[in-house]
Amino acid sequence: MIEFVDISLGDGPQVQCGRCAGSPERAAFRSGAEVVEEAGAACKGWSRGTGPNIRLTGAEPFTHQELPRIVAGVMEAGCRRLAIDTDAVALRSAQNAHGALSAGVRHIRVTFLAGTEGVHDALAGMPGIFDSTREGVAAYRATADAAQLPVSITVAVPVCRHNLRDLPSAVGAAVEAGADRVEMSVTDGGIDLAAAVPWIVAACDTGVVNGVWVEVGGVPFCMLAGYDMHLADAVRGRDGSKPPVCTLCPLDGVCGGAPVGASADQLALLAPPPFAAKLAPQIARARAQEVC
Amino acid sequence: MAQPMRTVLLGLNSPGYRSLALGYLRAYAEADSALAGRCAFETLDLDTSVDPWWAAWRVLGLEPDVLGISVTCWNARAVYEVCRIVGSVRPECAIVLGGPEVGPAAEDVLAAHPEVSAVVRGEGEVTFAGLLAELARGGKAWRVDGLALRRGDEIVSTPDRALVADLDSLPSPYLTGLLQPLDGGAYLETYRGCPHRCAYCFEGKGYGKIRSFSDARVAAEIEAVATAPGVKSFSFIDPVFNLTDGRLRKFADWMAPHVARGLRLHTIEVDIERVDDEAAALLREAGVASVETGPQTIGAAALAACDRPFDAMKFAAGVRALRAHGISCECDLIVGLPGDSAYDFLAGLRFCFDLDPGKVQSSTLHVLPGTGLWERALELGLEFDREPPHEVIATPDVSFRDLRRAEVMASSLQSIYRARV
Ligand code: SF4
Ligand code: SF4
Repeated sequence: MIEFVDISLGDGPQVQCGRCAGSPERAAFRSGAEVVEEAGAACKGWSRGTGPNIRLTGAEPFTHQELPRIVAGVMEAGCRRLAIDTDAVALRSAQNAHGALSAGVRHIRVTFLAGTEGVHDALAGMPGIFDSTREGVAAYRATADAAQLPVSITVAVPVCRHNLRDLPSAVGAAVEAGADRVEMSVTDGGIDLAAAVPWIVAACDTGVVNGVWVEVGGVPFCMLAGYDMHLADAVRGRDGSKPPVCTLCPLDGVCGGAPVGASADQLALLAPPPFAAKLAPQIARARAQEVC
Repeated sequence: MAQPMRTVLLGLNSPGYRSLALGYLRAYAEADSALAGRCAFETLDLDTSVDPWWAAWRVLGLEPDVLGISVTCWNARAVYEVCRIVGSVRPECAIVLGGPEVGPAAEDVLAAHPEVSAVVRGEGEVTFAGLLAELARGGKAWRVDGLALRRGDEIVSTPDRALVADLDSLPSPYLTGLLQPLDGGAYLETYRGCPHRCAYCFEGKGYGKIRSFSDARVAAEIEAVATAPGVKSFSFIDPVFNLTDGRLRKFADWMAPHVARGLRLHTIEVDIERVDDEAAALLREAGVASVETGPQTIGAAALAACDRPFDAMKFAAGVRALRAHGISCECDLIVGLPGDSAYDFLAGLRFCFDLDPGKVQSSTLHVLPGTGLWERALELGLEFDREPPHEVIATPDVSFRDLRRAEVMASSLQSIYRARV
């Protein structure tokens, strides 16, 4: 609904499930000029509602030597909401937190693979990272509050076969960290979606009862009956895996399907749900509303 | 000579505000010759952060013979708690309630709250003063129009009282010095009633056609508030500030000297579909820094159920005109209106965010006493909390769980919207 254009800073080690992703790669950054040019083009051609909004993704931004120049360049290009994907470790320093805020970074997105340091650190293969991230988030929030600057904190929870049971506690940890929003996304094509759904809905409920919204991606509507609102905004423009029967489903135009790489067995479980005909036009209306 | 009747007026206000309603009540009663020397007044303007037990402590310390409280859906629970405590400790004190929360359901309120002696129905100034006069002379309160009260074991309603025809007959709480203007928290009323009849709102229905204070009175109040020490901004509670362009012109003229030295008006309610470039320029001249407006919903079924007009093009043009004149706009939406699905509400959010008005605010429907929705709740299938603040629980179009989800989702989106340079 409030969209961000993702612009990659390059490739590099990230907080992700090491069992799914293998060993971390070495950082290979794009040049600052290249990033700023792409961001400038995105800002110039902005036509996605309130914005322009840019999110710097890919490698950890605070290890990019040109970060200050990139942030300044993106802001000069007219960006109104600048977000960064970060492990937040650098933000533990009040000076960095203050610097990021005054440069214009009002959105951060950090990743929680689980709700406890033991599981998160083990999955990420980075001892101590969970606590460091939480400290960084807390420092960023405290610095922003002191300066009376509104900020928004998102916790990404990538869902894979290794952290299913930790999803509710990961959302709980996000709540404790002061997140405004959780983005939970199934990216593991090999996951047993039917087994994942009870954990996903428990995680959604954990967020809602604590006042933090959980957006879900990578799960088709037909597997999340009664929780469709959590998919409402997430799957916009996302193309996952779908079986041929989807062409008969009224939700086809708004449903992202199963994660890319889903097995034939997984796809065989998908079928137009009974609520599809009623829901599809409502979702289409909510997404298609245009500025006059 | 007999001691005057000690009358305490208690306001449980939003933090930072004082009760204009109590100011009117007191200003009118103090000017009433029938009460001269018979009634002594004390106003306790507290806010809703004060624990009701401590509010009762403050009230009881004044040993009132009469306690008058203005009740809205927001403070009603606290008010009833205060009433229970005061009624237990000082049963001889007559507790009189008034305001939009209790007036339309006056007899029910009396039935549910035995410690409450009377409820003022409709506009309070004349009725409350009449009641005080009867109480002071030990007379018969049931002779006063516009009340619901106890008569023996019975609860009775006296005939309706006509609305005050000449609003200038109500002394100004500001001009009489009863209400000290607070910076940011002072607000003025220049008319009563509303040209619209939104089914979820009491204003248009309860106060009927528009009645205005005179220009001279409004100009004098503006002068008093604008020149009060420490006041840098204030507001108007008029439901539609931009009723006519001529009126806006007058406000611009009245405000001009104060605007020139930096005074601003905040959160002025406007009918945004009437705001064009000229109106926005006048609002700016009048010192308006921020306005509040709908659309409340953009769903066709909900608009019809609520009797609200909506023209998306005009609305968007209004926001653009305000933005062009540097006026921040708060767009308000209501979740849970009859006819709206959760996705209609999301469509409304999207519409507002896309307009980039400055602020987008959403709240959950309150099915308020005396409103069209309150009267038609059964027919519309609205499940709502009978206890104040009467939040909607579920509708035929949105389940209880989806309503709560919509609230949380909206708040998350608002935080993203706000976080910008
Ligand atoms: S059947 Fe419908 S809901 Fe299920 S995956 Fe296909 S399009 Fe989505
Ligand atoms: S909601 Fe506003 S415009 Fe509608 S009746 Fe109430 S005061 Fe008037």
